Amino acid sequence: MIEIRGLTKEYDGRRVVDDLTFEVRPGVVTGFLGPNGAGKSTTMRLVLGLDRPTTGHALVGGRPYVELPDPLRTVGALLDAQALHGGRTAHGHLRWLAASNGLPARRVDEVLGQVGLADAAGRRIRGFSLGMRQRLGVAAALLGDPPVLLLDEPVNGLDPEGIRWIRTLLRDLAVEGRAVLVSSHLMTEMALTADHLVVIGRGRLLADATTSEFIDRHGRTRTRVRAVDATKLAALLRDPGHGLDATEVDGGAWEVSGAEPERIATLAAANGVVLYEIAVQQDSLEEAFMRMTADSVEYRAEAAA
Amino acid sequence: MSAPTLPAPLPAPPAAPRTTAPATRPATRPALDAFRAERIKLTTLRSLWIPPLVALALTAGVTTAIGASLGDKDDSLTVDPGVGVFYGLNFGQAALICFGILLIGQEFNTRMIDASLTAVPRRGRLYGAKLALGALVGLTVGALATAGAFAGYAATAPGGWDGPAFVRAAVAGVLYQTLLVVLCLGTTALLGNLTAAMGLLVPSLFLLSPLLSGVPGVRRVVQFLPDRAGQYALRYADDPQVGYGHWTGLLIMALWTALAAYGGLRALRRAR
Repeated sequence: MIEIRGLTKEYDGRRVVDDLTFEVRPGVVTGFLGPNGAGKSTTMRLVLGLDRPTTGHALVGGRPYVELPDPLRTVGALLDAQALHGGRTAHGHLRWLAASNGLPARRVDEVLGQVGLADAAGRRIRGFSLGMRQRLGVAAALLGDPPVLLLDEPVNGLDPEGIRWIRTLLRDLAVEGRAVLVSSHLMTEMALTADHLVVIGRGRLLADATTSEFIDRHGRTRTRVRAVDATKLAALLRDPGHGLDATEVDGGAWEVSGAEPERIATLAAANGVVLYEIAVQQDSLEEAFMRMTADSVEYRAEAAA
Repeated sequence: MSAPTLPAPLPAPPAAPRTTAPATRPATRPALDAFRAERIKLTTLRSLWIPPLVALALTAGVTTAIGASLGDKDDSLTVDPGVGVFYGLNFGQAALICFGILLIGQEFNTRMIDASLTAVPRRGRLYGAKLALGALVGLTVGALATAGAFAGYAATAPGGWDGPAFVRAAVAGVLYQTLLVVLCLGTTALLGNLTAAMGLLVPSLFLLSPLLSGVPGVRRVVQFLPDRAGQYALRYADDPQVGYGHWTGLLIMALWTALAAYGGLRALRRAR
């Protein structure tokens, strides 16, 4: 479990992370969302002790990262898959990592197999594609079989098959009881992967909720209807007496917000309008995210500054 | 890969938090693990393990080759056997300097230092492991290269084996190479940048220091630079223009090295 309390980081007087407080719990995938430059990577670096917070703290399993004995056995991290020496082989790179935390050398082969790089173990990293480097980064994170995983933009550079692999892997790791924090600016991907969301903008916490709560709270729910007689439907929905907020979307289809589908169906039946389509539509995570960041006063003020 | 098309339904069932492996570890184990990791970093990267071998080949080989071709023609190599024996070191030390810089500099350059610090977050421990490895390689190369240089010199030129000056030059030859690696490693850690370290160390150790020592006035100051001072300990003969003794010269170099190593530690601890 990761506990972040009042975490703040300033570089030359500029606040990159601003009073962040949240937890990453075991057993769930926590998505760490925010636009580029929101402070996601800096927060992860602060958790790993690579940067020092200006104020506040981040604890992993109740202790600061630097105080963990054999930290790779507690936390697996993937930061920048490019930040390694291309002259080493994948096997060589993992071998020094394993030795540094007293991990048995057989773990190297195990994780290489787990990420599908067994055949490339003896090849120099220089010749790896971005996707292979990401897999190697994931292998390094899994090396110590850690209960906490921290992955910064792990799907970057992966092909569709690789993206699906990461998604399944993260969900499996969470089901095994691990705490998984994964950052991304790809909303659609996060909607499929994360159970819980922590959203930041300009270094500040904007939301900390389950994915479905977040969409419920910040997204819109609309009822889409279509009738045999489009003119009669239009008249019904526009009738101020019914108090409906309806907009025509395309060729005779309407979206009504602020009304239960039952009420619309009952109303249509009472007025002799025959409906042949009625469906509840919910905003995607991406739409909810865009609405939320647009609504957020702090975010707009910060963005304008 | 048998990944399902859709992920498991949300939310995933909560599970008990996992616990870390029991901590049964002697106090020295983390330091040894950090050292082992550094040793593997060295042996798994060609650009790191080749320079020490090149240094060894040049220091011993050039002395032998020059001794064989010029030993009976050029006095400057035999008047002071220290000059002749360590002639090859002028070439070999270039590779040692590169090794000292690269040992930590390539981690700054590739930003792999982040992975190293994630694995060994105690910065002093990581740095200590690197210093220990650098010193050990310097000591090993120094011992083998010094032995090789003396053997090569003796085979081609007369003398050089007798007296306390021989013992001193031999010991200094080993220590000079050890200190040189640590000096370069420390300076690179202090600068936190591979290119800056190459830009500072290579010209100052190869051009500035030897050239300036030929200028009469400046020489009095330049003789206290680490390489000048350390190399004086390699000579058999006393130089009236040098204001300190042979052993003191090595000590001066050791002080520079300690300063650089400490500066590197401070810089690594303070970073970010």
